[in-house]
Amino acid sequence: MSSPLKIIDEVGGGMIFLKEILSTAFKTPPDRESVLTQIYSVTSQSLSTTVASGFFVGAIMTVQFNAQLKQFDALSVLGGLSTSGTIRELGPLLIAFMLSGKVGAFTSAELGTMRVTEQIDAIRCLGTNPIQYLVVPRFIGIIISSFFLLFAGLLMSIVGGACLAVLVAGMNVTEYIHGIPTYVSWASVAGGLFKCSTFAILLATICTYKGYTTTGGSKGVGRSVVATALSTMVGITLLDWLTSLIIGAL
Amino acid sequence: MKVVAENFFDYTGTQVLKVSLEARQWITYLKDFIVALVAGPLRAKEMIFQIYEIGYKSTPIILLSVSFAAGVTIIEYSYHIRLVIGTAALVPGFAALLVLRELGAVITALLLTSRVGAGIAAEVGTMKVTEQIDALKLLNIDPMKYLVVPRFIATIVSSMIIVMFANATCLFFAMVVSMYKLSFTWESFIHAMNHFAQFKDLILAMVKAGVFGSVIPVVSCFYGFHCKAGAEGVGRATTQSVVTNAILIIGLDFVLTYLFSYLY
Repeated sequence: MSSPLKIIDEVGGGMIFLKEILSTAFKTPPDRESVLTQIYSVTSQSLSTTVASGFFVGAIMTVQFNAQLKQFDALSVLGGLSTSGTIRELGPLLIAFMLSGKVGAFTSAELGTMRVTEQIDAIRCLGTNPIQYLVVPRFIGIIISSFFLLFAGLLMSIVGGACLAVLVAGMNVTEYIHGIPTYVSWASVAGGLFKCSTFAILLATICTYKGYTTTGGSKGVGRSVVATALSTMVGITLLDWLTSLIIGAL
Repeated sequence: MKVVAENFFDYTGTQVLKVSLEARQWITYLKDFIVALVAGPLRAKEMIFQIYEIGYKSTPIILLSVSFAAGVTIIEYSYHIRLVIGTAALVPGFAALLVLRELGAVITALLLTSRVGAGIAAEVGTMKVTEQIDALKLLNIDPMKYLVVPRFIATIVSSMIIVMFANATCLFFAMVVSMYKLSFTWESFIHAMNHFAQFKDLILAMVKAGVFGSVIPVVSCFYGFHCKAGAEGVGRATTQSVVTNAILIIGLDFVLTYLFSYLY
């Protein structure tokens, strides 16, 4: 990733790979069972990390907003503000970061190991399309399970926020939750879902692409995992800005 | 150690054994690490090289991400503040506080995790798999002192320096975005910002970054040292180090935010 030319090359390669995944997915749909297996494994793998970090993010948001709102005696809006912030912005971002660390790195390591140990070539030799057999189920699995994880993470962030509101701000739980529907509009929820799905598509494309095109033994697998983690994080921050602009313009 | 669980007791026992084994590995690792850190002499040349590798080479990508994060912060903040107060006058102050207290340090740390942490885990893991670490031990060189300590100090130093640049860049782009979207002038932005942000916010952000920076290399080297053989092992070590680092950073961020909330 040193020269700009190489970055453009990688981005283009990813785009072509995404096109190939989509055309394979529509022409020859994968069997339902392998997609369900992927959804299950992705969700169960990252559920605990998402739940834990969701709790902490809700808690951090509450502590920070509390410090700022205290000056204005506006604590009644604390629950609504921190939940709205989590749904519109931090929730999707957090889920995407956690998924990129856990599932993105794992998928690229898995596919990279298969590539390096020539299992992908073996699948092709047996007359099966490896993209249909390996890549498409993972791609769909990551996108669908990101919604489940988003839901779990948001729920936990409300729990974490409410806990800290009780501990730090001295509110009670009903007071905290009461403010939520006032400030969380359906447009915010739709915006959050839109963000989450774009992040998931980006993440699924990058990790399968990087894994699928791994070269050079165990060193190569390590390299492609590092490249996946880095490029997903940077890509997610860029997309975050872009989607915020789009949602703001609507 | 792969055991197929047959019943509840079998499963519980296996899990307990696994957890206690890992806890023992962690304790011995941390003990060795602290002994190596205290025993010194430091490898100054290697440390400076690592600061170059970790700090200098990660800076552009972190600054790029942070400048986009600044745009997001301003857009989201103006939405929320308008919702509650009905005016955008307070946006610079609140956004600057959020950037200085949370975003600058956390985004820097998460990006360092994926660039530096994953890199260290892959590097040390590959060394382990290709038996270079055993070779170091044979030569009577302590791999802790040789590999971990320089990276530890280099990451702390470079994350504390990067976070200053990251905060400055973030605030600068926040100013640019609010000039275009919220029709502030740069003077009114800085004036509104100074009303809330203080110098100690920057110092506390550096403390946060130092703590995050001390976590990353220790965790990554642990997973590198305990890497299983083969291509799968290196990939797994890298994944685990990224996940553990990210969770530790978010958890520690909560603890530090809670502690610092008494200082503000």
